[in-house]
Amino acid sequence: MAEEMDSQEDPVFTQLTEAVAANPDDPSLHFNLGLFLWEGIGSESKEKAAEHFVIAAKLNPQDANAFRYLGHYYSKVSVDTQRALKCYQRALTLDPQDSESGESMCDLLDKEGKESLEVAVCREAAGKSPRAFWAFRRLGFLQVHQKKWSEAVHNLQQAIRGYPTSADLWEALGLAYQRLSMFTAAIKSYGRAIELEESRVFAMVESGYVFLMLGSHRKGVEQFQQALQISPENVAAHYGLGCGLLELSKECISSGAFRWGASILEEASKVVKTGTFLAKNVSCMWKLHGDIQLTYANCIPWIDEDHVLETEKALADSILSWKNACSSAALSARRSYQHALHLAPWQANIYTDIAITIDVINYFKEEKKHDPIQKQLPEKMILGGLLLESSNNEFWVALGCLSHHVELKQHAFIRSLQLDVSLAVAWAYLGKVDLTLSKSPNFFLLSMKLWLNVDFLQLYRKQGDKKLAQNAFDRARSIDPSLALPWAGIALKADEAYDCCLRAVQILPLPEFQMGLAKLALLSGELSSSEVFGPISQALHHAPQYPESHNLLGLVCEARCDYPSAITSYKLARYALNTSSRDASKLLDISINLARSLCKDGKAYEAVQECEELKKKGVLDREGLHIYALSSWQLGKNDQALSVVRILAAGVKSLEPQKASTSISFICRLLYYISGQEAVMTSILKMPKDLFKSSKVSFVVSAIHVLDQSNQLEAVVSSSRSSLISHEEITGMHFLIVLSKLVKNGSEHCLGIQSGIDHLRKILHKYPNSYFLRNVLGYLLISSKEQKDAHLSTRCFTVRSSQSECRKEKGLKCAPEILGASTVACYTNNKHTFPTCKDQSTPQHGSLKLLQKWWHQEPWNKNARYLLILNYIQKAREERYPQHINTGLEKLITLALSDESLSCPYQKFQLSLCASEISLQSGDHMNCIKHAKNASNLSIPDDYLFFAHLQLCRAYAAENNHVSLHEEYTKCINLRTDYHIGLICLKYIECQYGLQGDENINIIELRFEECSKDIKYSWNVWTAVWKMVQGLIAVSNRDFVGAEEFFAYACSLNGSESCLFLCHGAICMELARQQCNSDFLLLAVGSLKKARDNCYASLPILQLLLGQAEASLGYKGQWSQYLKFEWSSWPPEMRPGEIFLHMHLVSKQLQEGGYSASRTIHGKNPLRWILQAIHLNPSCSRYWKALQNS
Amino acid sequence: MKLAWLRSLETSHQDCVWACTWVPATDKSPGLLLTGSLDETVKLWNPEDLSLVRTNTGHCLGVVSVAAHPSGKIAASASMDSFVRVFDVESNNTIATLEAPPSEVWQMQFDPRGTTLAVAGGSSASVKLWDTAEWKLVATLSIPRPEGSNSKPSDKGNNKKFVLSVAWSPNGRQLACGSMDGSISVFDVQRAKFLHHLDGHTMPVRSLAYSPLDPRVLVSGSDDERIHMYDAEGKTLFSSMSGHSSWVLSVDVSPDGAAIASGSSDRTVKLWDPKMRAAVQTMTNHTDQVWGVKFEGGVRGCLLASVSDDKSISLYNYS
Repeated sequence: MAEEMDSQEDPVFTQLTEAVAANPDDPSLHFNLGLFLWEGIGSESKEKAAEHFVIAAKLNPQDANAFRYLGHYYSKVSVDTQRALKCYQRALTLDPQDSESGESMCDLLDKEGKESLEVAVCREAAGKSPRAFWAFRRLGFLQVHQKKWSEAVHNLQQAIRGYPTSADLWEALGLAYQRLSMFTAAIKSYGRAIELEESRVFAMVESGYVFLMLGSHRKGVEQFQQALQISPENVAAHYGLGCGLLELSKECISSGAFRWGASILEEASKVVKTGTFLAKNVSCMWKLHGDIQLTYANCIPWIDEDHVLETEKALADSILSWKNACSSAALSARRSYQHALHLAPWQANIYTDIAITIDVINYFKEEKKHDPIQKQLPEKMILGGLLLESSNNEFWVALGCLSHHVELKQHAFIRSLQLDVSLAVAWAYLGKVDLTLSKSPNFFLLSMKLWLNVDFLQLYRKQGDKKLAQNAFDRARSIDPSLALPWAGIALKADEAYDCCLRAVQILPLPEFQMGLAKLALLSGELSSSEVFGPISQALHHAPQYPESHNLLGLVCEARCDYPSAITSYKLARYALNTSSRDASKLLDISINLARSLCKDGKAYEAVQECEELKKKGVLDREGLHIYALSSWQLGKNDQALSVVRILAAGVKSLEPQKASTSISFICRLLYYISGQEAVMTSILKMPKDLFKSSKVSFVVSAIHVLDQSNQLEAVVSSSRSSLISHEEITGMHFLIVLSKLVKNGSEHCLGIQSGIDHLRKILHKYPNSYFLRNVLGYLLISSKEQKDAHLSTRCFTVRSSQSECRKEKGLKCAPEILGASTVACYTNNKHTFPTCKDQSTPQHGSLKLLQKWWHQEPWNKNARYLLILNYIQKAREERYPQHINTGLEKLITLALSDESLSCPYQKFQLSLCASEISLQSGDHMNCIKHAKNASNLSIPDDYLFFAHLQLCRAYAAENNHVSLHEEYTKCINLRTDYHIGLICLKYIECQYGLQGDENINIIELRFEECSKDIKYSWNVWTAVWKMVQGLIAVSNRDFVGAEEFFAYACSLNGSESCLFLCHGAICMELARQQCNSDFLLLAVGSLKKARDNCYASLPILQLLLGQAEASLGYKGQWSQYLKFEWSSWPPEMRPGEIFLHMHLVSKQLQEGGYSASRTIHGKNPLRWILQAIHLNPSCSRYWKALQNS
Repeated sequence: MKLAWLRSLETSHQDCVWACTWVPATDKSPGLLLTGSLDETVKLWNPEDLSLVRTNTGHCLGVVSVAAHPSGKIAASASMDSFVRVFDVESNNTIATLEAPPSEVWQMQFDPRGTTLAVAGGSSASVKLWDTAEWKLVATLSIPRPEGSNSKPSDKGNNKKFVLSVAWSPNGRQLACGSMDGSISVFDVQRAKFLHHLDGHTMPVRSLAYSPLDPRVLVSGSDDERIHMYDAEGKTLFSSMSGHSSWVLSVDVSPDGAAIASGSSDRTVKLWDPKMRAAVQTMTNHTDQVWGVKFEGGVRGCLLASVSDDKSISLYNYS
């Protein structure tokens, strides 16, 4: 105490007391002193302070502070609540924003339980000042407490303006919104609270519930999980998380992802189990656990994929263990429901839950189903629920579903409809009951499980009550279109069954629906669609005990060409059938299915065994016989196959036409394969002709006819063709006819392509829109050795932009393939050379792009890659093998060559040659020789092999290896080829490297003469080329007169090739120059003019020569005109210096001649022409001279 | 859930546009659209007005795939000659040129963390993983051969497994690749292990996408004209949606996971509601098959880009 007194005597205290002593009438000094003393410790000091506050208040009655402290004094030091309240009241009236006194006063009132007074005080303060935030806050909290939500919202919003960072306020606001059902606002408020304080468990849990209510289960689950991390024992969070997970799993299950749903449910079950430990006596937690377990029991998938089930017992065991898992989950659900009911026996719906659970258990536990007490139990439990709430329509529906008496069912549904007329479920079930009533009641159980069964469907079509049922179904659909049951019900009606059923399956993935869907798909031919595959594999998860589900899965797999899976499924189906009913007709079906799949999978031995098994039992039907015959033949047991065929043939006549034609075509084909062409033809001739009146048979017979040179079947074929009706069939038949023309009109080694082309042209006129025939024509045209035909090929078909359409058309070759091939065959480029002939097609620049498109669409297509490489190499050649293209090409070719699955040796040969050429062009002689040698080692006809050696010749020539070059040259000569171009190239090489020995003088020429003569039209063309080459060789030997003869001969052979005429013209001019003979000049002018007329585009040099020739003959007037043409015929980047010189000369001449007005071409100064020429080629002395002259 | 057409650029490239992706925004640049085309170029676009930012050249054949690093700084493009060019988005400097061993490159994607580039590789029936720090091949995930066909290496069994498409799960743990025979293979990346096949398609699977919300949900588009949704872990096909009248070439899932966009050979872009299992909207502004659709996953909300054989790019607003 002494020390405290000391402390009181610190300078501040003395100063304050002195000031008070000096001015005893100043209230603020008293207040300050009081405040100082109030801060001190001990009641003595507080009392002293109170004295000063009293004085201050007396002196200045408007000072709220003094009153506040007095209030504090009365409430805490000398406990006098009434006075304290009065002081606070006073303080508040003076300053309504004084939160301290307000809060203290309210606390006091709260302590005394005077809530209404508290509210009044706050209201008063709030009424006085809008900034009395404490009052709003207090009021808001109080109103939340009193559940006056809408008022609370207003006050809390106001309070938040004053305390924007108060998490409590936000939380309270969120709660208020939530109770007012303003959920998004509530979520925002809770979110703000959590943002301000991370550990707001209440806000998290509540916002989680709001999320669940809004249907965003995922977000809700997140909130609950966060809350549980902070407070792991929060019961509400456990419950919420359980609910959220249950809802999530239901989403998964309704979309068909059972395994996913099950894994979520396992988690949920764990969470709720912990919840039940935390709060043992909360009934709803137990009920939730029951719900989760019940859902789990209904969704556990039967798992068969981890191990293959090889025996009946394995299947039975696995089904049993699955059933046990399901029923134990259901039992656990029943236990939990009982807990819940025990805690809250007045909850009527738990009775229904238990009833449903018992029903589920009965479903999985076969033995209990037959126990009469167990059977009655569900009904009884529901009645318990109904006793409590007799007006609950859902209970009535449940009773209707679970009851075993049809009359009671009907009564229950009608009762529920009386309670709620728009209850779709009830309408739907009523419809179903009406259906069943019309037939015997015991059929109901079956229909309950498999009521979409097709037989059932057909049965009920005829029933009288159907109309009533239809009516009920329609009603249900109009009330609630999302209900699956009525959709499935409609499936009973009409052809739209499949679509309706699909819709039903998508809404509710029940195995019964899914199997029904598969059956309908079987009828409507949609079996391979994945809309069926998905559901039927799901159906297996929940109905593995039905043989039908396995069988249907097998059928679907078979339709999707997945035979191994189909076989497994059929086997399982048989096991399942053996363990359950042993229905003989079903067993037969499944066995036939199995045999068919085995046969399709190439397991002929097993298929035969399967058939023999059936045969032993004496139940092998027609389909079985087909399979039996086919697989016997595949096994090589021809006698057995033939004997089966005989049985089949014997029965053909008694069949309906559709089946008969299938049998006939099968028999014909098998006979052809077993006994050969002759035997099958004799059997065909023996058979009555009216059996062949079917398109299917017609195709088979015609195909045999194609191969028959003696035309024995002519009559049969022509009569059978009358049965072809559709467009496609007719074009298909024409294709066969074309093939027969190819075969029958061809010689020994070579097909009669020309006659095929002729026929196609005629037919195409009839069916101009058949892409198939167009493609065939294009293909044949490329195959033809006539030169012009290759050009035509690209014009006769169109490549459609979308590949997917192309793929649909079956045929010999697809359009892009033919295009790719024909652009390779008919190669022109216009970048560095010039088209010389009118027949040549316009350059196909798009083809490279088109092939890339094709390859992009079918990257696995080897042909696409191959043709792309070939076209790409054309492009490389066009651009003179630039490095970047070479690298890319090399890579592509290596890739293609390394592909082992490249089956065609010719393609490999071509690719090796390409690789060799690329290496040659990039100067890599080693690799060039390597690739060419690889190519020469392939086993392909000599015709082609020639080119490998030719390539080797070039490689050795480039290497200057004369010995090897000569060797290869000899090999080439010995190999022979039918390809003119090869010989022409060889001739070049021969001449260039002086390989021509004495012994093989003109041997190439002899070979050339021998070259296939069967090409009529192109023979001249090739000879012309040959002559031209000989002429060029003569030129290089400086034998101009001989050259002129060759060229003149060439021109006479091929009058449409301007290039020949150009050569001839040029050589004539040279001769004219040498011999000063104007006859040659005249000849030259004639040839050059012909060249000009034949030319497709303007050919360079030609005009210049022509101008020169005419000028030499004295017609100078045209000179500048020709030069102008010449100028324009060169692409700008390729104009040689020479042409600039000529331009210079002509412009100079014109200038001198006084034609300055015309200003020559482009109005250029003559001097500039010559300067440009020198710039292009500074080494030429003539240009310099011309410059000097000017 | 709807798409609103924003703008299109008619001749964005000189030829078919085959690939597109979004380059995420960085602190220096906004998000950009990256496209690759048959005209052998890769172009960067500003989505605001579809103005061309840059044209990258250098590929020798058509560009089949483009991929962007999640950082937005690096991108990769691959062409038919199997060269993958990795470049700096801002400067266009080549960072690396990945030359795959003799095998094609058909689709590629960076993993969500950006440490690995997955390249789906054609007839080798595998996915190659490249480390993005050193650009080294770190792993090859091969699809196991079906039993019974391992006797002959050249047999068709493996050819059918030609890998066309690849996708990373949003957590980067799983990787799925689609093959020509219609099967989808799922791999565990950390253990470099094949997990299982997802069956259901009967024709080539051209495109795969995981739902950004849930690593279990995998969406696939195939030539059989259908879009499938799989539970990739429980290997269940739980939803099959049909509506396109030709091949489905490209699929993508919206950033909110609530919608799927698809591009098809039937020249349309469709928006699907997976819950309804039906297309809710069909955009017909393209005049040729649509090879790529891609949602922008960034902060800017939801743009959808589509590229097509008609040489055009279109942008839509997804809301």
